[in-house]
Amino acid sequence: MSDAAIELQDVGKRYWKLDERAMLLRSLLPFARPQRTEFWALRDIDLEIGKGDVVGVIGRNGAGKTTLLRMLAGVTRPTTGRLRVRGRVAPLISVGVGFHREMSGRENVYVNGMLLGLSKREVDRRFDAIVEFSELEDFIDTPVKFYSSGMFMRLGFAAAVHTDPEVLLVDEVLAVGDVAFQVKCAERMKQIREAGTTIVLVSHNLHSVRVLCPRAVVLNRGRTEFDGPVEGAIARHHEILTEEAEAHHAVGEQHYLGGVDVEERELLGPDGPTHYVDANTPMRLRLKARFDRDVDSPLFAFTILATDGTIASRIITPLIPYRRFAPGQDVLVELKFTARLAGGTYRIAESITTSDGLGVLYSSPVPVTFEVGTRHGTYGIADLDSVVTLDGVALREERASGLGVP
Amino acid sequence: MAAPSQAVHLLELDDRPDARRPWLASLWRHRDVLGILARADFHARYKRATFGVLWAVAVPVLQSLVLAVVFSRVIHVGDARRFGAYVLAGVLAWSYFSLTVTAASTSIVDASTLTDKVWFPRALLPTVPCLANLPGLLVSIVCLVVALPFLRADIGPRLLLLVPAVALLLAFTLVLGLALAALDVYFRDVKFLVQAGLLMWFYVTPVAYSKDLLGGLARFADFNPLTGVVTLFQMAAVGRQSHWQRPVLVSVIATLVVAVVALEIQRRHDRLFTDLL
Repeated sequence: MSDAAIELQDVGKRYWKLDERAMLLRSLLPFARPQRTEFWALRDIDLEIGKGDVVGVIGRNGAGKTTLLRMLAGVTRPTTGRLRVRGRVAPLISVGVGFHREMSGRENVYVNGMLLGLSKREVDRRFDAIVEFSELEDFIDTPVKFYSSGMFMRLGFAAAVHTDPEVLLVDEVLAVGDVAFQVKCAERMKQIREAGTTIVLVSHNLHSVRVLCPRAVVLNRGRTEFDGPVEGAIARHHEILTEEAEAHHAVGEQHYLGGVDVEERELLGPDGPTHYVDANTPMRLRLKARFDRDVDSPLFAFTILATDGTIASRIITPLIPYRRFAPGQDVLVELKFTARLAGGTYRIAESITTSDGLGVLYSSPVPVTFEVGTRHGTYGIADLDSVVTLDGVALREERASGLGVP
Repeated sequence: MAAPSQAVHLLELDDRPDARRPWLASLWRHRDVLGILARADFHARYKRATFGVLWAVAVPVLQSLVLAVVFSRVIHVGDARRFGAYVLAGVLAWSYFSLTVTAASTSIVDASTLTDKVWFPRALLPTVPCLANLPGLLVSIVCLVVALPFLRADIGPRLLLLVPAVALLLAFTLVLGLALAALDVYFRDVKFLVQAGLLMWFYVTPVAYSKDLLGGLARFADFNPLTGVVTLFQMAAVGRQSHWQRPVLVSVIATLVVAVVALEIQRRHDRLFTDLL
């Protein structure tokens, strides 16, 4: 038996997808059992997390991240394998667990704290710190139904981060309140980490995983795809996204005129291939294209999309006659750009069309995805490399201090 | 939880349910959580109402009044006022029972947003309404005792019977709630079955009539586990009831049997309920 804070051996979790019409009567009758299909949310998971380690868990929706956290919180038990968690566990899974609208902020802090495993006396001891952190001194005896959603979240987060657990489970709750409060949350997370708390962080915000966790686990369809340094995990995550999109594309409909094959597609940063860059980094998307037909002055189009599908930028080569390509001819195409983008995940899709834009010679089967790190204090799609100066002196932070503002 | 910071916390899970002893211990360890949840439930229910917890009394009193008046007309009762005391005693117990069982039977499903984040024994959830409705029951009992002299029932040492009466009522309500709440997770029909069941159960329990009226059917009424419970309440209010031993024994045995079954279901399914919510 090792001293690991968290140990999982061959852990699997099976859910039954029940027929909607599952009813009492039908379940009792052996010949009319409702239809059910099995679904493994986790499969063969082996994981060991040492005391004081900070580990990120990333993966697409439905990869099993939440099931893993729920199991670590003891809410659900595995179908196969064994799991051991040493130390008091506090989930920071959802802020405001068990809040009652009719009760005051004060009473809710107690309910919440005790649900998270504190005794009444321990809540007593933390109460002032919680109220101070939430900045709700004047409203603490007001029923929470009169709180704004921001106040509600602040109180919930304050209560949750003051439980001083030995194992903290975090699920996507780091973006609470305004920017000032987020900075405070980030500071608090740093303190918790420095206090030697074991932290498991599940997040879609790859930036916060990268900043907080030296190690990360990539889950895909319930299995561990990668377990190691966070850079490697993020790269693997992007590979999975790409593979998924490719698989999806293969069955999708496309109206190719065809005639151009792209043999290599690569995203390069200043130091070679990458999927993760800081804002304002010069980048290149490199394609090796081979023409199978005679094409005169084709158009190259590139679209850079934000996560929500917003077009961050669209680039099309000039509509002028410039060159004729013969069958069998190779050409190296490069899109050079500077990632003047705010933190987030972006995709680049590209296409090659005939000079009139009507015939599609090539269209990227899947977008290339990449991640831009957040520059502290910026928000949106574009990063205009802006700086605020006071009397000519720039207010600038050299390095992001903890969590990114998504 | 005396000193959680010093205690060694170890969570070990595999495909088997929690072992009996640690699970029962965890129930006890979470008594603080139970207390605070019951308080929250009580507040949520009565805080907004101007008359607060008085409603917990007013409803059974009004119900008994209506039943006493109607039934004393329909069936021949010797003394209408004394019959009123008899009905009031039974209705208090019934009112607590039906209110609590209704809330308890859906308690695990209703708390789904709360329970998919943090773990505590799910058996606490059906226990919450049992505690939250307790102040209402106790206040009604005080009102009953105060009203007895006006209902031609004297106050005497037999009022001490209220102690075992309340204990048996709480125990039976609790264990039935535990069992129904677990079933409700798997079969959502339970909610409606409980509504329909309570409606019928009220009429087959000698609350608004005397068991003696049933004649030969009285024997069957004895096997209704609630008969013993309300009989104890009625004995405390208006004195000895004929053939009280058998129904009380049935109630006690039924409570014990349901307790074992309900706790076992709760233990075995504790960390699986969330998968179905």
